[in-house]
Amino acid sequence: MIDSTSVLTTCPYCGTGCGLHLQVLDGRLVGVLPAKGHPISEGGLCIKGWNAHEFVGHADRLRKPLIRKGGKLVEAEWDEALTLVAKKLGAIKSESGPDAIGVLSSAKCTNEENYVLQKFARAVVGTNNVDHCARL
Amino acid sequence: MSDRLPDLRRAIEKLLPEVDGVLALKTGPGGILAPHLFVKERAAELEALALWPKEPLPDLLKKILKAHPTAKLAIVCRRCEERGVVEMAKHAQLDLAHVTLIGLQCTHDEALFCRCAKPATIHAKIVVGTPVEGVPDSVTDDFVKMDQAGRLAFWKEHFLHCIKCYGCRNVCPQCFCNVCALEDETWVETGRLPMPVPPMYHLVRAMHMTAKCVACRECEETCPAGIPLAIHFRLIARDVEEMFKYETGAVIEQSPPQLLVLEEGEYERTGLPH
Amino acid sequence: MMYEPKIIGFLCNWCSYRGADTAGMARLKYPPNVKIVRVPCSGRISPELVLRTFREGADGVMVLGCHIGDCHYATGNHRTAKRMPVLRNLLAYSGIDPERLYINWVSAAEGEKFATVIQQFTEKIRALPPFAEVIHE
Repeated sequence: MIDSTSVLTTCPYCGTGCGLHLQVLDGRLVGVLPAKGHPISEGGLCIKGWNAHEFVGHADRLRKPLIRKGGKLVEAEWDEALTLVAKKLGAIKSESGPDAIGVLSSAKCTNEENYVLQKFARAVVGTNNVDHCARL
Repeated sequence: MSDRLPDLRRAIEKLLPEVDGVLALKTGPGGILAPHLFVKERAAELEALALWPKEPLPDLLKKILKAHPTAKLAIVCRRCEERGVVEMAKHAQLDLAHVTLIGLQCTHDEALFCRCAKPATIHAKIVVGTPVEGVPDSVTDDFVKMDQAGRLAFWKEHFLHCIKCYGCRNVCPQCFCNVCALEDETWVETGRLPMPVPPMYHLVRAMHMTAKCVACRECEETCPAGIPLAIHFRLIARDVEEMFKYETGAVIEQSPPQLLVLEEGEYERTGLPH
Repeated sequence: MMYEPKIIGFLCNWCSYRGADTAGMARLKYPPNVKIVRVPCSGRISPELVLRTFREGADGVMVLGCHIGDCHYATGNHRTAKRMPVLRNLLAYSGIDPERLYINWVSAAEGEKFATVIQQFTEKIRALPPFAEVIHE
């Protein structure tokens, strides 16, 4: 059975929130179509929106955490990676104080992910140094 | 005027067991339409079949056929999409033997919206809806009445708002080149906004649309800046009809003029010196 | 409007370029405003090339090829004959004077014709405003 359909979603890039259709063919993303009748994008997209499908299955995407060992980035498991991050951030916080740490997020994250991230920065690390990619 | 939606649904339901899928429009969340391949295994989805606003379906048809070369598909197409499918077949982008055309006739209002001169399908054997007469393209007709200075100012003003989203190219049912001239830095400067004069992107695109434009107006529909892009393409289409006696998507056996040598009598119509 | 127009002339190797040679050998005088670019065939001249030439600041562009039927590559100039008129019309639709793009056929023996054609086109372009003025007003 051939499976070809369009999935309505919101562009992950800027804050405008244009509606677009991801074109799905047999479980793969093959393109993007603008959403006519969408209250915000009204059937138009910018060049980033038109290519919003590109990064999803991109070969360059990481599939596992990478830890630098002996000067080279080596694949690791999540437990090892998270333990290392917690240890290092804790050390920086006790040596240099919470404001030595900055938390940088992304417009590609969901609202919920960004909520957790700022909560982590403020309540866990204890700093107000929170920002995101669009301001960099 | 028959009610097209139930007629179309009946036509698709009849065809569904015989084909691997029918490409049409489906209502989704928020009442927003999108292309969808209806298959016999999920015939109940036809409940959400929809008609307007239209979407550029020929490109999706090509993608599906490329992934499934032996599939037999049907496509619900208006005249412009029918032109698109035929022209794609002429450029070896898909095999017409694998495609059943379901000709959806446009209403008078839809023809007005697209400023369409020929809204009735001519190749589809299955016809849904009553064919209507074409309407004049007043936007293009008014444009040609402008003098040179007026035209230059017109395009300068409009192209000032072009953000080079490439939407007009992406949505065009006839843009299928693997290597696109518009992505070549030799012709289109990367990161140069606003458009220079001459507007390289748009003029190169207009030339590449010679003998290809199917007059679907999707380019204008998707342009976030509301630029009346169809004017260039339609004027060139008129020239192509006059000079090369070629109408896009009209005669399936007629090869597009760019691929051939000069035909009998063509040279005289070019206006070039002897 | 006395300015020195900048004109780029695309000449095909087999006919028009040799026609230019013939004009030179006969010591025929013609204005120096045309910078010549030699190409294998006038059919090589794509619309993009002509548009880029205008974008770079040419006031006029000439495409000179072999006479129809005499093309070294049989039908190369048929391409020219099909594409260039469409481009001229497009220039007109864009508000750019189509007279700035000149297409003609000059054989290797036609030194006189070559000189005349250069002379006439240069004067025609000289009478038009500089292209830079047109696009920047």
